Order: sequence, then structure tokens, then C-alpha cells
Amino acid sequence: MIQAPVIEVRTVGMSFGNGTGARAVLTDISFDVVEGAFLCIVGPSGCGKTTLLRLLAGLLRTTTGVIRCHGEPVTVPSRDRAIIFQDYSKALLPWRTVANNVALALEACGVEEPERGAQVSALLRTMGLTRAADQYPSQLSGGMQQRVQIARCLAQRPRILLMDEPFGALDAITRQGLQDEVTRLALELGTTVVFITHDLEEAIYLGDHVIVLAANPGRIVERIEVGIARPRSQLATREDPRFLAHRHRLFDMLQDH
Amino acid sequence: MTRRLATIAGALAFVALLLGAWQLGALYGAISPIFFPSPVRTLEELAKQVADGRLWQPLGATTMRMLWGWFAASIAGVVIGAAIGLSRTAREYLEPMLEFLRPLPASAVIPVAVSFLGLSTQMSTAVIAFGSIWPVLLAAVHGFATVDPQLAEVSSSLCLTRWQRLWKIALPSAMPDILAGVRVGLGIALILAVVTEMQASLPGLGQNILLAQRSFKSPELYAGVVVLGMLGFIANQLILGIERRLLRWRALPE
Repeated sequence: MIQAPVIEVRTVGMSFGNGTGARAVLTDISFDVVEGAFLCIVGPSGCGKTTLLRLLAGLLRTTTGVIRCHGEPVTVPSRDRAIIFQDYSKALLPWRTVANNVALALEACGVEEPERGAQVSALLRTMGLTRAADQYPSQLSGGMQQRVQIARCLAQRPRILLMDEPFGALDAITRQGLQDEVTRLALELGTTVVFITHDLEEAIYLGDHVIVLAANPGRIVERIEVGIARPRSQLATREDPRFLAHRHRLFDMLQDH
Repeated sequence: MTRRLATIAGALAFVALLLGAWQLGALYGAISPIFFPSPVRTLEELAKQVADGRLWQPLGATTMRMLWGWFAASIAGVVIGAAIGLSRTAREYLEPMLEFLRPLPASAVIPVAVSFLGLSTQMSTAVIAFGSIWPVLLAAVHGFATVDPQLAEVSSSLCLTRWQRLWKIALPSAMPDILAGVRVGLGIALILAVVTEMQASLPGLGQNILLAQRSFKSPELYAGVVVLGMLGFIANQLILGIERRLLRWRALPE
């Protein structure tokens, strides 16, 4: 069965500045993502992967080409697409408690009390934050702060989740826990995910598909279908011969570019 | 806790030391008591004013004068500061003008205010508001202009309305700057309340001090100064208390 793609990216180019000072950050990017799929985009720093995610979110406009979500051209942000920022400590409101940070997304949607409080409690429970509800972000560990950001994104019930190196700054154990939790949630809710990382293993472990970008200017050099069923397992999947084969091939590719 | 108590005890001991030196200086007649009463005489005068109720009216008048001018300045300062801080163009056009007006001594505008408003309470309020708006206004401009760009992206991606951005993101993020500004502004408001009373013969502690000095009632003069000092101290403590409450999130145990 062929599904219509949820996200269509068509010959997208992006440059900053204009005239002779213009610098191309992305050229000729095209790909599709189908409903419920988990796409990982991996590449070295400076390859424009964060720019690409901001284009998908509608925080930036493409210079050339077009991005469509659910058939509509993306020009401005929409509640349908939630973005999880890399720098969780700056993406939370330091003056609001955990519960009120999550509530912000519901306030934006016009959800009133008592419905809002009930939804917040449910989200905090989902993300294991119930006991931290009345604490402020600065009192939490990095992993917990990132959980708050994820809870806030889930509050707006997005059909597409855009994640910008969300676990890059976390320790290995916390990272693995959150990787499994996010993939499980995405699977349960049927959310389509675009996940940016510079960690090749993370990309193969999480993604149904992996796109490899090279820098200067940012362009697609390889795309693979991982072909291992989700949910996956930190031990078994990482020892799977298919996982290792992908890792070898893409590792060499990232080295060459 | 014991450290806190020790600090308070130390501060009180220092006050006692100064009062002792003042008492001794007066006792040995280093300065004529006509110009320089002992602290005991000053406090006796103060107690008398409290007992027969002569203190309350001027104290109330000066306090209200200070509060109205300061309140008007704080509201106007935050609103104008937000408008300037949130617009890059407004900042570029208006900042040189603000830098010209800010260092202008507010007492220099008293004659201007008098020629427009007469020797009135409105004149006093206007001068107080003009003088105490600057710290709030400049703090608000800075606070609203430096909202973290990451939070701006968060606001966009959550599709907050302009009003929600202003109210839920920009204002709380500018709040530490604003509170520091209003606290400085309150000190200036008290100074200008006293100065305008002296200049325009408006009822209040400032006028009482001036009259006491002219009729050589030095205990009354010093009692007035002590009350003004306490008024300033209490006002400052109140704002610090509000600051601690509103900015609870800034000083948290890890």
C-alpha cells in the first residue's frame, strides 16, 4: 500500500544573506515522510540540519523549493508541528513551575481550567514528572528538563514532532531511557517524527529511515531504510547484523564528506 | 539562621555605636544644642509627636505624595519601556533622547512644572513622576529588549498571540530588571516629595523640617529627618519583600 506522505520536501534550498555575500546553507533537499514514520537526519556540525528543522517548523522560510505538510505549504509555525529544542534549559520558562511550563502550551490553545489542570496532570504522569510538578526548571537535572519540554510539546497534540538533537547534552543512561520513551510514545500516538542528530548510532537505532547530510553546502548524500521493526531494544537492536551493516556503511560515508 | 541573627545584631550594634557617639558629642557641647540636639531629645520630640498625633498628617501627606508619583512613574515606565524595548526602530530613534533626559536633575524641572501647574499637589506629583520614571523606564527597555531569542522561538512554535507573548513571556522575563528599577525609583520619589514640599510650601514632612529649621526647633528638625529615614527604609524593605516573592525562582536550592 502506498501512503500519501505527511511531509513533502521538494528541492529546498536555503541561503542566508543576499547578493555576493549570500551563503548557501542547504541545496536541493528533497524527501518525503509518511504518516507515523520516524525519520532521522544525521550529519556533521555545520551541515544545516538545524536550519532544515526550523524550515520544517515554519520558523524560517525556504529560499527556493517548497515544504508541504498534510498537503499545505509550510510558511508559519502550526500547532500541528511541535518542535523540541536542543537547549532545554533555555526553552523552558525559568519563572514557571514544571506544571505551569506544560500548561503554557494549553493556554496557547485556549484550554481553560479545570480541563487544563487535568490535562497537565496526565501529561506529567506520562513523562514521569508528577513529583516535580511544583519545582522550577533550574532545580531539575538536564534529563528531567528535557522531559518537561517533551510534555509541553505533547500538550498541543501535534501530528508531527520535530526534534533538534534533543538528547545530545545528556549522559548515556538518561539518553537511552528517553530514546526508548520517545519512540514508544510516538508509536502509541501515531506521531510522525523528524529527529536531528549528529550521532550515527542514535540515528540508526531510532529511525525507520535515515538521511545523511554533508556540509558546505548542506546536501543529502545518502538515504537508507533501516528495516528493523519498532519497538526496538537497546541491546538486541544494536547487535543486529543489519544495524551493524548500516553503521559501517554510513560511518565511512560521514568520514568521506 | 544563627548567622542571620548575628548579622542583624551586628547591624544594630553599629547603629547603637553611632547614637552613642552622637549623644556624647551633644553632651559635651561640641556643637550648640540649638543646631544639634542630642538623640535623646530628638527621640523625645518624636515620641511627643506620636503621642499627640501631630506626626500622622505630615507623614501621611508625604507618603501619599511619594507613592502617587512613584506609582504613576512605574506604570508609565513599564508601558513606555515595553513599547520602546520591543521595537528595534523605536529604540534606535528614542534612545539618544532618553539619554539626554535621564541625567537631567529632576529638581531642575520644578520651575517648569510650577509655571504650568502652579504651587500645587499636581505639580509635586508631576515632578516626582518625572524624576522616578527613568530607572524604571530604562530597566524596562533593557528587560523587554533582551528577551532570550530561544524563548521567542518557543513562543512562535506554540503559536502564542501577540498579547500572550507580551504578558506571559516578555513581561516576566523583564521583571527582574523592572523590579530593580522601581526600587531605585521609589528612593528618588521620596527625595522629590521632600524637595517639592520645601519648594512649594506643600504640607508634609519636608515643609515641617524647613519650618523647624527656620524657627530653630532643632529637635523637631531632627525628628523629621529620622522619620524620613525610616520611611525610606520601610518602603525599600517592602519592595525587597515583593521582589523576593515574585523572583522566587531566581534563588532556589539546586
